[in-house]
Amino acid sequence: MKKECIAMLLAGGQGSRLYVLTENMAKPAVAFGGKFRIIDFPLSNCSNAGIDTVGVLTQYRPLELNAYIGSGQPWDLDRNDGGVHILPPYQSATGASWYKGTANAIYQNIGFVDMYDPDYVVVLSGDHIYKMDYADMVERHKAAGTACTISVMEVPWSDASRFGIMSVDENDTITEFAEKPKEPKSNLASMGIYVFTWSKMREYLIADENDPNSDNDFGKNVIPAMLGSGEKMVAYRFAGYWKDVGTLDSLWDANMDMLATGSGLDLLERDWPIYGRSTSAPPAFLGKGSHVEHSVITRGCTVEGKAENSVLSENSVVEEGADVEYSILMPGAVVKKGAKVNYAIIGENAVIGENAVVGAAPDGSEGWGISVVGPETAIPTGFTLAAKHMIDSGMKEVAR
Amino acid sequence: MNGLHGIIFSYEKEPGLRELVERRMPGSIPFGGRYRVVDFMLSNMQNAGITDVGVVLHGNYQSLLDHVGNGKTWDMSRKYGGLRILPPFADSHRHHSEEYRGKMEALAGVRSYLEEIRQDYVVLADSDLIINIPLAEVYRSHVLSGADITCVCRQDYQSTENATFFELGADNRILKTLCSPKKPTGYHCLEIYILSKELLLRLVDECAAEEKYSLRRDVLNGMSGSLNLRGYVWNGRAAQIRTVQEYFDKSMGLLEPAVYRDLCAAGRPIRAKEDDEAPTYIAPESSCVNSLVADGCIIEGTVENSILFPGVTVKKGAVVKNSILFKHTVVEEDARISFVIADKYVLVRKGETLAGNASYPMAISKNSVV
Repeated sequence: MKKECIAMLLAGGQGSRLYVLTENMAKPAVAFGGKFRIIDFPLSNCSNAGIDTVGVLTQYRPLELNAYIGSGQPWDLDRNDGGVHILPPYQSATGASWYKGTANAIYQNIGFVDMYDPDYVVVLSGDHIYKMDYADMVERHKAAGTACTISVMEVPWSDASRFGIMSVDENDTITEFAEKPKEPKSNLASMGIYVFTWSKMREYLIADENDPNSDNDFGKNVIPAMLGSGEKMVAYRFAGYWKDVGTLDSLWDANMDMLATGSGLDLLERDWPIYGRSTSAPPAFLGKGSHVEHSVITRGCTVEGKAENSVLSENSVVEEGADVEYSILMPGAVVKKGAKVNYAIIGENAVIGENAVVGAAPDGSEGWGISVVGPETAIPTGFTLAAKHMIDSGMKEVAR
Repeated sequence: MNGLHGIIFSYEKEPGLRELVERRMPGSIPFGGRYRVVDFMLSNMQNAGITDVGVVLHGNYQSLLDHVGNGKTWDMSRKYGGLRILPPFADSHRHHSEEYRGKMEALAGVRSYLEEIRQDYVVLADSDLIINIPLAEVYRSHVLSGADITCVCRQDYQSTENATFFELGADNRILKTLCSPKKPTGYHCLEIYILSKELLLRLVDECAAEEKYSLRRDVLNGMSGSLNLRGYVWNGRAAQIRTVQEYFDKSMGLLEPAVYRDLCAAGRPIRAKEDDEAPTYIAPESSCVNSLVADGCIIEGTVENSILFPGVTVKKGAVVKNSILFKHTVVEEDARISFVIADKYVLVRKGETLAGNASYPMAISKNSVV
């Protein structure tokens, strides 16, 4: 059945800069904000924008992600016509190959896209936290009659050299693209969200595949090639909350942004809901001696101790006398009696033993940073994990 | 296990529940912060591996329909079988414009559905019983005992009106069935029954032919001579809710961690329709203790000994004590409420004070502005 527009969601990345958190799962499956996973954001955006056909390109450790997406029902994407499709690399008559890059991942699924014969394809990443109406971007793409529309946002000039930077003319037509430029000519950063006219995109994907020197990456190869050939490309300005949560610090920051009024990240707003696969846990229970302030808390949590400035995910537990501050407890994490957790990310189902100490408040020193406990890790009673240290489920220190 | 079929009854009006049943049947009363009462029985059935369930309805059942939907929540949206909603059928010989007088009459009202049941055994249960019981075990014990009907009962004497009590003999054989006795004695019947489909159909026809409608009076009592009736004694928790007071007391009981664990967080999960709310935010300088809090709430004031359903807002300076606030209730700045049950979308205005009493909680109807 023909669709005007479908989405391709790149969810295959390992997310190596999340270290222990992605040991057993792909980055888009990492928990976020108490009851979500990162991939809930692009999937919910698609659902809210009326895009009912989404291909999810998976590669690295897809078990968790596949199980989570399932039939797509939580996002209303279980459809007879369209819906969500998981697209792993596959074997064909000419051999088998992994996805070599973002562009190659879609190249290998040209057959899937052709099945829906779309006019436009939206390309999304599985590691961004934001609410965005892709339908509006597609409208803009149509109206401008371009080959490609790239969503951009203004970043501080001092940060511009960390991004793919677009130079535009007065109509926001892109004149130049520079990947992480030393001396940026603009502060419009690419958000890695693209709308392509499928016929054009198809052409360039095939050309890119035939170029042995290409890294088969959208940002590095396909976009510059299109620009170089004189295709009309337009920037779509986005002004809302957006964060790439590819690093431990940015993941921690984005979680904390849920608490900061004025950060722009308001998940309690009901006009653009973020959906997630639910667990059957009962409501959160805050005990007689509990003290919870400036925190988010969700179903299945039990708090008997103290939690401040923290994100408590599904089924996490803070026992009596335990103290959690400026931290993220991922689903099922348990902080035992008398333990202290400060400026830390505690992975799924990790247990912080009695009177253990994880992380420390910033002391202005060079070596300070967020402490991280990997999923399923059992920190023994009385153990101390210093600031910026990271430990995996085998109780092995991991350097970063 | 595919041998057991579920039938859930939701037709009895319970006037004792006052405001809480103004717009709904007892089975769809919100309970425990995120559930509807009927979620317990549907989940019990799901946890016992039951895939086919018929819900016998009469009365104001729109709210119940909205809640159970197609049964997806309990994995009962199936190609074959699954959840079936059974309002009175037009083919039944009586025109059911009035409430069913008893279970046998309700079953006769859906006679053609009963015939199509694919399983050999049927479990009958009420939609307004709060319990987390392993029905698979009750079923096993029914089959092993060779009883005609197994009735789940419990040694409690809560003051439920219109209750049924059993006197049990050796091997838990039911010797006597007492209908609404003045002084409760023996075992309180929890209205969960297991019997074979074949017997069920025979009893429905026999009762219909003689204009009999009551399961307890006409079957348990009236046919006790010819049927092998056994009690299954349940020692766990259970609550039938028939009055606002009972509702309040049983809800508040959940604040005891052991009760909450046994009912809601046992190895057998209770599933409820997804509310798609973001996590709850608890603001600086607020306080929230000894309370159950669902998702989507914003707490800026003080909350104590209370149960908050999804999307409740407690503004700065507001004090909520010993209260139950249904979905999307808003308590504005400096309002104070205690011993209140606020139905959905209630707005308590700035500075207002509302107080019920532990022995007479105040129930506020849906959409009220106070």
